[in-house]
Amino acid sequence: MIQETRAMLEFADDPKQIELATYRKNGGYDAFEKALKEMSPDDVTQEVLKSGLRGRGGAGFPTGRKWQFVPKGNDKPKYIAVNADESEPGTCKDRVIMEQDPHQMLEGTLLAAYAVGATTAYIYIRGEFQKSIRIVEDAIDEARAANLIGKNILGTDFSCDIWVHPGAGAYICGEETALLTSLEGNRGYPRIKPPFPAVEGLWRCPTVVNNVETMACVTQILRRGGDWFAGLGCEGSTGTRLFCLSGHLKRPGVYELECSTDFTLRDVIEQIGGGTLSGAPIQGVMPGGSSFPVLRADELDCGFDIESVAKAGSSLGSGAIMVFDDTVNVRDVVLNISEFYSHESCGQCTPCREGSDWVRRMLKKFQTDGPDEGDIATLMDVTDKMDGTTICALAVAIVWPVQSFLKKYPEAFAEKVTA
Amino acid sequence: MSDNGHVTLTIDGKEATVPAGINVIEAAKQVGIEVPHYCYHPRLSVVGNCRVCLCEIEGVGQLQIGCNTLVRDGMVVNTTNERVSRMREGVMEFLLINHPLDCTICDQAGECKLQDYAVDHGSGITRFEFDKGKKPKNISWGDRVVFDAERCILCTRCVRFLDEIAGTDEISIDHRGEKSQLVVRGDGKLTSPYQMNIIDLCPVGALTSRDFRFKSRVWFMKFTPTIDTSDARGCNVVAGTRDNRMLRMVPRYNPNVNDYWMSDHGRLHYAFVNDEDRIVMPTAGGKPAPYPVALSRAQAVLEGARDEGILCVASSYMTNEELFALKGVCDALGVEDRYFLLPMGEGDDLLIHPEKAPNARGCRLAGFRDAPDDWSSQEFGALLYVKPRELIELPAEVIERCKKKVVFSLTKHASDVNIPLTTWVEKDGTMVSAGDRVQCVRQGMVYEPTLLTERVVLDRLHTLLDPAFKGASTAVLAFQRMADEHPALDGLTWLSVGLLGAKLNKAEALA
Amino acid sequence: MSGNESKFSSELVAKVNELWKRYPHKKAALIPAMHLIQAERDGWFSDETVADTAALFGLPDMHVRGVVGFYDMFHSEPVGRHVVRLCKTLSCKLRGADGLIQHVNERYGVKNGETTQDGCFTFKHFECLGHCANAPMMLVDDEKHLDLTADKLDSVLGGLS
Repeated sequence: MIQETRAMLEFADDPKQIELATYRKNGGYDAFEKALKEMSPDDVTQEVLKSGLRGRGGAGFPTGRKWQFVPKGNDKPKYIAVNADESEPGTCKDRVIMEQDPHQMLEGTLLAAYAVGATTAYIYIRGEFQKSIRIVEDAIDEARAANLIGKNILGTDFSCDIWVHPGAGAYICGEETALLTSLEGNRGYPRIKPPFPAVEGLWRCPTVVNNVETMACVTQILRRGGDWFAGLGCEGSTGTRLFCLSGHLKRPGVYELECSTDFTLRDVIEQIGGGTLSGAPIQGVMPGGSSFPVLRADELDCGFDIESVAKAGSSLGSGAIMVFDDTVNVRDVVLNISEFYSHESCGQCTPCREGSDWVRRMLKKFQTDGPDEGDIATLMDVTDKMDGTTICALAVAIVWPVQSFLKKYPEAFAEKVTA
Repeated sequence: MSDNGHVTLTIDGKEATVPAGINVIEAAKQVGIEVPHYCYHPRLSVVGNCRVCLCEIEGVGQLQIGCNTLVRDGMVVNTTNERVSRMREGVMEFLLINHPLDCTICDQAGECKLQDYAVDHGSGITRFEFDKGKKPKNISWGDRVVFDAERCILCTRCVRFLDEIAGTDEISIDHRGEKSQLVVRGDGKLTSPYQMNIIDLCPVGALTSRDFRFKSRVWFMKFTPTIDTSDARGCNVVAGTRDNRMLRMVPRYNPNVNDYWMSDHGRLHYAFVNDEDRIVMPTAGGKPAPYPVALSRAQAVLEGARDEGILCVASSYMTNEELFALKGVCDALGVEDRYFLLPMGEGDDLLIHPEKAPNARGCRLAGFRDAPDDWSSQEFGALLYVKPRELIELPAEVIERCKKKVVFSLTKHASDVNIPLTTWVEKDGTMVSAGDRVQCVRQGMVYEPTLLTERVVLDRLHTLLDPAFKGASTAVLAFQRMADEHPALDGLTWLSVGLLGAKLNKAEALA
Repeated sequence: MSGNESKFSSELVAKVNELWKRYPHKKAALIPAMHLIQAERDGWFSDETVADTAALFGLPDMHVRGVVGFYDMFHSEPVGRHVVRLCKTLSCKLRGADGLIQHVNERYGVKNGETTQDGCFTFKHFECLGHCANAPMMLVDDEKHLDLTADKLDSVLGGLS
């Protein structure tokens, strides 16, 4: 049986873990204190590089490398922006960290700030997460009172402030450049790259944007060592990860698991998720949030790691595994997905602004009437032309799932709906 | 890196050596390749939202937007290959699915980049079978700009112009995604004195000019490069005329004067050209008189007044050639009191100049003095007066102190001899703008075929006064004669002044 | 504009002053401040509130208006005393969100974006609210209600005043 490996969630069930005293009693901030007093900023980065940590927001970029892009010997202030705009459908893990062990995220944030020389960090929490905002703000206040945040932290030369910055309801602000634009007080438009945020981010100063879970991992890595982290999971998918199991499962929830090539995605769904609630056969799985291709029931026997799921044609993305059984019509599922992304398109780029709604309308027609001859080819071509033609990845977040549904469930889109 | 801060790259197989730091669109332009673009404008920040300038950069996986891709040495760019063409065709289709395609009633037709690129890069068919999105049409953004939200492609050029150039931050986008729509702050009326530039900037028919709307299809019009004569800035413009009436002015790029812009005041400063009340025939003694009759009368009036003195008042709206012709008349008559009238007003730091006439510097160059604030009570035998078109007039009591009057004017003016004026779009000539810059005006229309320009009229009068004098046959020759005589113009030619003007060749205290 | 000229409560202005200290540029505090402002101004941004907000920040009105229009949590129309946001995205849909939406439509007579006749609450379909493992769910103002059923929903909405 697959077992959870609880590192990040080790103390999450203790309601007192949100308090600084409990967090410290459980070893919290020891790693940060040690880093401040015994390690150079570069040592911290090296430890993270050694761990093999990849960003947990969905794109999976190596965290240590991202930090190394921050220019050194530059007079500009540097910033950390923690991406807590958790909005990818199916994803509900960062909230667990913030509501159950917020200091773990703050400690990682401080470590990242120390590593790159940042003096201010903002936690951009989606505005709907009022509970998270309250808990994280309380945690910051406690840590500030204990001189863990603020000026000359623990008597050292290192100073760093951390502030919560609430969003206001826009999925696109989870895209790192849109997050920065939004944080500056604007409509959350993604920015053209280059320049990349590590070089020109907030107020055109170097800025590292990392996901909440990534920050929690940084804490674990500095607490237990990069080697320890690299020894968990498997190559390319080291450490533990929080997976959000949702949809038609018996035991939906947030689970901390190691990736492995020794068991399969199906095993996780069966053993951790408990299979379908109704007992009906699985029809499909979105293994990494709804912005990646769907996997059919017969495609679930791939290894449970980034590489294997990629080879199977999808992605572990943000760790959101959404399962649907055969009681639901896939036309409804893909329409629902397209409604999400067309609603969330910021409207900047022509192909996304116009195309996402066109796609939604075609899928609505498919759902109610079924496609006419040539419609499927048109939809494939239209989505092709949204792929890679926009500033950010929101357009492909509609293209990939939609194309995958059309390809993988051809029978569902084969004919007109008869009354 | 090639030498002197230049890089060499290949664009569609053509080698191009261009300055480092420019983008692919500009580099392509330098070798005669047009990369289509809507949101990009050389003077506005790069936002990269329209996506129509997608290009393939060899070695880079995804297509890149030409506006945000800076040239590198050795870069190989494809702007038209199959992959690029397919994606660009896609962008055009996306732009058009919710566009009303109301070209038949759209004022932009004929100069619309959506039309142009749809022809050049579109597929010619639509696969969109749903109802087009409905948005508000014919929204008044004040008395100058009309907005049509359905035609808008959200390129945000107008937003950026008012933010970054005019500095009034008046337009924003409301909502998001496909519901996005431009809104104007406050009561929804624009306030910038430069707001009409957004009409030129708008690549489609979303922003149209209240003044020009529905007056003419542009393909029936004649376009003449000239300058704005509403103030001393001398913004370079294109005058649009049809059937010998002036219909609009739009700015013409000149990096030394006005860049791509002009003030609304200058743009709208042309109504007098088409005024129905303009006189088209001289009068003598209040009665219509052909030019030879009127000029003989003028000769008699002026020669008869020599002993009592003649007051000559020029207009700062005249061309240099006209001013030198007037100078010749004054010289022949021995006139000592030579002045010009210059209307003054408010200026700003961008383009609006406080001198509300184009050619005070030319007046000074031709030896006319700034009119005094307080005229003396001296009496004159005659007044030779070229009346400015508006804003300023010679005080009535000064006119009254002159016994006889020869007046050039656009509309009827009580006088012994009244000669019609022509406006700057009816003749060739030069003026000296702010910064001592010589610029050409060019004839784009004739108001009435029988009208003679002031230069011709004044030269003929000069010949009557001095039979040995022979005027130049054209404005170009008149300019050359003037340039030969006057040190400040020495070495300049009509061609060297050209479309973009030229500095006076040595500093003259003309300002 | 200094605080004492503001049209907002002194408490709000004091909080915004604190927010400004967190950023190198005041504008960055706009969205956090707008949450406070919306709460003080009956839950929505009238033209007047937009203008007052712009004045407080020294920003053009239309910038604030553009921000209101971009973010789903800001309202440009009046809302009821409470705002009910029911998640309709995939995980919630798979666990019965459609049925709950229909239930609210029928039982309370409000569709997406509408306010009950007594002004008690405004009902909004919302995209993913990040509680996918406890689907379906809704937010009533700031409070979340998880693993919803029609009965549970009724007991929550029935308790609103």
